[in-house]
Amino acid sequence: MNAAAEFAGVSQVFGDFTAVDSIDLRIAQGKLTTLLGPSGCGKTTTLRMLAGYAAPTSGRIDIDGVDSTRTPPEKRNLGMVFQSYALFPHLTVAENVGYGLKLRRVPAAERQQRVQETLELVGLGHLAASKPKKLSGGQQQRVALARAIAIRPKLLLLDEPLSNLDARLRVHMRAELRRIQSETGLTVVLVTHDQDEALEMSDDMVLMRAGRIMQQGAPQDVFPNPANRFVADFLGYENFLTAADGSVLAVRPEHLDVLPVGGPTAAGGLALDATVTDVAYRGVDMLVTVRTVDASGADVRLISDVRSDGLSTVSIGDVVTVTAPPSRLVAMAAEVPEPVR
Amino acid sequence: MRTRTPALLLLPGLALLLIGFLIPSVVMLFAPPGVTAADIFGRLGAMLSDPYDLRIIGRTVGLGLIVTGICVALGFPIAYLLARSTSRWAGVLLALAIFPLLLSNVVRTFGWLVVLGSNGAIGQLLTGLGLVDAAPQLLYTELAIVLGLTQLFLPLAIISCYSAVAQVDAGLDDAARGLGASRGRTFWTIVIPLSLPGIVVAATLVFAGAVTAYTTPYLLGGSSQRMLSTQLFSYASVTIDWAGASATALIMTVLVFLVSGLSSLVARKGATS
Amino acid sequence: MRTSRPVAGSLAVLGYIIMIVPILFVVATSFTGGRTLRFPPEGFSLQWFEAALTYDPFISALVSSLQLALIATVLALAIGIPATLAIHRGAIPGKGVIEGLFLSPLIVPELVVGLALYQQLMIGFGLANFETLLLGHTVLMLPYAVRVTGASLALADPALEEAARGLGASPLRAFFTITLPLLRPGIFSAGLLSFLTSFNNVPLSLLLQSRDFRTLPVTMLDYVQQSYDPMVAAMATLILAGTVVIAVIAERTVGFAKIFGGINR
Repeated sequence: MNAAAEFAGVSQVFGDFTAVDSIDLRIAQGKLTTLLGPSGCGKTTTLRMLAGYAAPTSGRIDIDGVDSTRTPPEKRNLGMVFQSYALFPHLTVAENVGYGLKLRRVPAAERQQRVQETLELVGLGHLAASKPKKLSGGQQQRVALARAIAIRPKLLLLDEPLSNLDARLRVHMRAELRRIQSETGLTVVLVTHDQDEALEMSDDMVLMRAGRIMQQGAPQDVFPNPANRFVADFLGYENFLTAADGSVLAVRPEHLDVLPVGGPTAAGGLALDATVTDVAYRGVDMLVTVRTVDASGADVRLISDVRSDGLSTVSIGDVVTVTAPPSRLVAMAAEVPEPVR
Repeated sequence: MRTRTPALLLLPGLALLLIGFLIPSVVMLFAPPGVTAADIFGRLGAMLSDPYDLRIIGRTVGLGLIVTGICVALGFPIAYLLARSTSRWAGVLLALAIFPLLLSNVVRTFGWLVVLGSNGAIGQLLTGLGLVDAAPQLLYTELAIVLGLTQLFLPLAIISCYSAVAQVDAGLDDAARGLGASRGRTFWTIVIPLSLPGIVVAATLVFAGAVTAYTTPYLLGGSSQRMLSTQLFSYASVTIDWAGASATALIMTVLVFLVSGLSSLVARKGATS
Repeated sequence: MRTSRPVAGSLAVLGYIIMIVPILFVVATSFTGGRTLRFPPEGFSLQWFEAALTYDPFISALVSSLQLALIATVLALAIGIPATLAIHRGAIPGKGVIEGLFLSPLIVPELVVGLALYQQLMIGFGLANFETLLLGHTVLMLPYAVRVTGASLALADPALEEAARGLGASPLRAFFTITLPLLRPGIFSAGLLSFLTSFNNVPLSLLLQSRDFRTLPVTMLDYVQQSYDPMVAAMATLILAGTVVIAVIAERTVGFAKIFGGINR
């Protein structure tokens, strides 16, 4: 399939700080791609380079197969939703949404119609005449989205669009964004630091760290097979053990079982004797923290997330066996070296 | 005891304001020695119909407006560039724009005598290059006053505009560019409308300062280019014409109050719309 | 930044030229070896500095101006700070009106205030010109004291003083050990601005001169009118140097930008 945008060897260097370190990236047409990573990983810089607000120090960015590395933002025809929304406070909602259309000399009647259609799409048809300041955060976010969509952009770029919303609204807006994406068929690039958001929304997710891409793929492929310890850690694999051969095994807390010592264990799986150091009751489940020694002889702390009703009683100081079936053990390369920045 | 403390703390200040400012000002404006309010308003009427006095009023207001226009036209771009720049030089340039406010107006204005005088830099340059035979008369012209007042009040315009531009989120510039607006378009449709309150403040300060300034018209305008301030001084200390002085002071005060009132009206309207 | 915004950049350059270049010309001519104010200066010498520093009217006016600015500043702070405290912390009705009253000397043209004081106090009441100047300058500085210290008072958390009281400090002690130190930068800024405003003032001081007590800026204006030699340039350069020193001190202590919260209404 054609790439909507393609980065080739793109770097962004500020003084002696390398924000983005020679990345290659394909953004698939008509898909929702998320750039995921902790703050400072270069995801927002990558998005800003794609939008044209920051020129790469080196490398090349193609949009729709055309070299756009040095094209100013106003010539790219991309729709961007800013983290702060950046709504024009002196213009009404309709004027905000119509701003880009006016610049494209869309005749007034058609412009009004398109503004109204776009506002209906985001569910704000009734607020066209309001000033942005009068709206709630969620409504402002939708106006920003409508403003970006109204120009029928080649790509829709979203910079942490949901991070300023409260938890409940955020979950609702994930579904809304997916609906809007499928209705418009737009190619969307979304920057986030929230792995749940990325997993739930992406067709394609790009995990970044320290200016480099750590792993790219569909959530269904990435989640069960993290390429390295960083990705696993970021996706919530909390338990890491070093195997006898030096490779790293990762287990998610919910896959680690706590059993009485001497019980039956699956062949080829994990079975380690351990001492309970903490028990946290959380209603449906319990977090049991244990200390043990892994195959390499290192002292490790493991966390098991077990259903409250599945376990009779465990208290601090108990000696137990922690187990995991072989299918739940994810092997990966040892720690990726920290890039020089 | 505790409730009376604040009132006691205010007392010296209020007394000072009454004795050293309010009472003398009101008495001077409406009942100077040996003159009645009727005389002053009669004199005011005469001034507003006398061609010579009208020319002075017209020059004061006209030059005030020109200087206001120039200061905003130069001050806003400077404020905009400084507020949006990420260079470390921006701080130095901002300090350089603020510094003249600390410096004596006499010192600042005196510089123009050196630049514009008959043996001054521009005259010497023009004659030296053989462009003119004799240095043109630059000093004691309205041009000299405009230059001097612009130098004086540009820093004030820059500071007012700067605080306004700095409050406009730079993300809005990005948003407008992303929607297809050029730099120029972004400037006129986003930055200018959103900084308007600061521009109004700047214009008010500059105008009020320009129509009441004394040093500049005195040094650079001389007796041939009288303005209200130099005229007032001459009534008060040369001709000892109290009615004329009070009438001139009234015109100056009303002018300043008028623009201040107008600008706060504009500001209030901007805030509600 | 300049290459990408040619129009704004050119206007900015023009603006800086108008603001700064005349000042540089003053400095250049003050070192002239010639007898007149001409440019380019003829040779280099310090003769005009020597002349300015031995010219009695300048020196006595300098002393007078420093004296006046110093006393007026101290008075304005001593009267203005208590008033600011009352306005911001006291439970008094009509705070807005009272604050407006304290700021009102800023809106009336100084020349008009000068005329009023000259006519009513000096001529009408027979007050000596130093006292009249002092009164006028203190009134003019009052808005700075109220506004600048008011701004730092607004930033100081009233709970701090309450906490000190809770720990056993008397109201007076709480004020002097907690609130006053927090206000110090504001007071310093207000004092600095007041001092310079008073020292540089022309319009208010213009009519309030006498043979015994004259201020420096007015003396220099008079001198320029009579004589066209570079002595005034030398004096102006000395004032410039003094102002630079004060500006550097201001930048090192409280920061330039903060001080100008006060000038910018």
